Amino acid sequence: MPTDKPKKAPSWDKLQNLFVENSMNRAGGKDPSSDRKASGEKPETDGSLAKYDYQAFLEKASRTMIRFKKPEHLIKMIVRTIDEQLKVTHTAVLLFKAHKHSYILIDSKGSRGLKIPIGFIKLVADNPLISAFSGKQSYLISETGILRYDDVIAGLRNREILERQPDLYDKLLLIKKQMDLIKARLCIPCYFKRDLLGILVLGEKINGENFSREEMGFFVTLANDAAMAIANAMLIENLQMKIDEIKDNYVREHRIFIHTSIAMAAAIDARDPYTHGHTERVTTYCLAVAKELEGIPEVNHYKNFRETLQISALLHDIGKIGVPDHILNKHGKLTPEEFEEIKKHSIIGSTILSPIKELSDVAKEVRHHQECYDGSGYPDGLKGTNIPLISRIIAVADAFDSITTDRPYKKKKRMEDALAELKRCSGTQFDPVIVSAFLLAFEKGNITTVSPQKSFGQ
Amino acid sequence: MKKILIVDDETDICNFVQNFFQERGYEVTAALGGDDALAIIKKDRPDLVLLDIKMKGMDGIAALKHIKDIDRTIKVVMVTALEEQEKMDEACRLGACEYITKPLVLDQLEHTVEKNLR
Repeated sequence: MPTDKPKKAPSWDKLQNLFVENSMNRAGGKDPSSDRKASGEKPETDGSLAKYDYQAFLEKASRTMIRFKKPEHLIKMIVRTIDEQLKVTHTAVLLFKAHKHSYILIDSKGSRGLKIPIGFIKLVADNPLISAFSGKQSYLISETGILRYDDVIAGLRNREILERQPDLYDKLLLIKKQMDLIKARLCIPCYFKRDLLGILVLGEKINGENFSREEMGFFVTLANDAAMAIANAMLIENLQMKIDEIKDNYVREHRIFIHTSIAMAAAIDARDPYTHGHTERVTTYCLAVAKELEGIPEVNHYKNFRETLQISALLHDIGKIGVPDHILNKHGKLTPEEFEEIKKHSIIGSTILSPIKELSDVAKEVRHHQECYDGSGYPDGLKGTNIPLISRIIAVADAFDSITTDRPYKKKKRMEDALAELKRCSGTQFDPVIVSAFLLAFEKGNITTVSPQKSFGQ
Repeated sequence: MKKILIVDDETDICNFVQNFFQERGYEVTAALGGDDALAIIKKDRPDLVLLDIKMKGMDGIAALKHIKDIDRTIKVVMVTALEEQEKMDEACRLGACEYITKPLVLDQLEHTVEKNLR
């Protein structure tokens, strides 16, 4: 519904007059986003201004409506303002609550005995008041769409309605009865698009005067603005609920995913008492190294670097499932043939993981975790940064753990020796950047060989 | 003139319901709690009591027992925000004639009271 917007920023008082005129001429809404700032001009002296003080208040309020996050706060403000400024016996707002399938009284004010207690009453959808508004029959009674008690009474006294429109007459009777129940003199609908969001109920003016056309026009405007704000708040609330739901689902699925990976990792570890806790430690080291690598451009190549790293580390040895026990647990040096069997584990691992679409990145990292920086590793002899970043990290962490723990074929070495070994092989077996990061993490106390007992899933 | 007693620990509800039924030609008193209600009932027998279940101090169920001890013929309509079937069942067993759930439909409140006072 169109309204004339002021071309220049008018004075606050001019604006009020303009607004009142608009409200009188049109029972329409106005654009709440239109900027109507006072420019500080001298106010025009007009005898009726004081009378419309409350309108200035509501006007200001309607511009800030959009900022109300909760529709209830907005409703409270409207009810309070009307109660304070308009001097009516009572005021109430009913809002549609989808889960209760009815309009619930959510705020009210008024004199003793007339104030309708908050939460005490509801109007169901087939209530004649509600259906008059939602069916837009209220427009048959008044072009403003407001149900005014006087109009209803006038309609009931109109012989023409009684004789020619018996349906409307019956409807008016039902509406009168409903207005009597809550002693309403005005019921103002609040629509968003075609939906009736709520109803503003006003009793009579304490001084007994009728509501003026300006006031009625203003209520319509106010209701339209409130509808906008309420609808916005509802949309945001719904959206927030959907987002939370999706987040919850994601977190749950993700937890299952991580725990499945941990279970698989535990299955690998369980086969080999010597490497017990190996996967857990390697994962911890990898995450400590990752912390030092934060901000390097390569990290950004991953959609979710930390998670891919964690899962890859957990599953890096999953291919050992395909390596015979007697080779895996052999005491003493492996024959070249046996070593070839061992080497297959990284390919087997990636083959196991590759059918899982979500783990395609992980499969790649697992395949290359035995590559060497100088190209002398296996299975593909990749070189330098052609080796995926996560594979390079796992390579260092994996080596450090194998040096610092007992193996069937060798005794463990001290940590200092292990660090010296990493430094010695930096640039040949290992990426020097990763080795530096590892040493840095060590200095900070983030690398300890005692495997943490707590779950490293989350 | 038929007499109604409204018992609710919310002042607004007492005032509103009192005014509502006074305008419909009843003599209405209000009590903010079970003890007040029993004192009023002993002094001046109402024909019908509108009794809130959930109240501070003596709750509606306890008050109902006492009311029925004083006079079994007083009609009691329970008003409650609880949708707990257990409490309702207990109130029925103790002799409440009907119950209304809050938020309520005013026609229904009016109708229930009229029907029971006919």
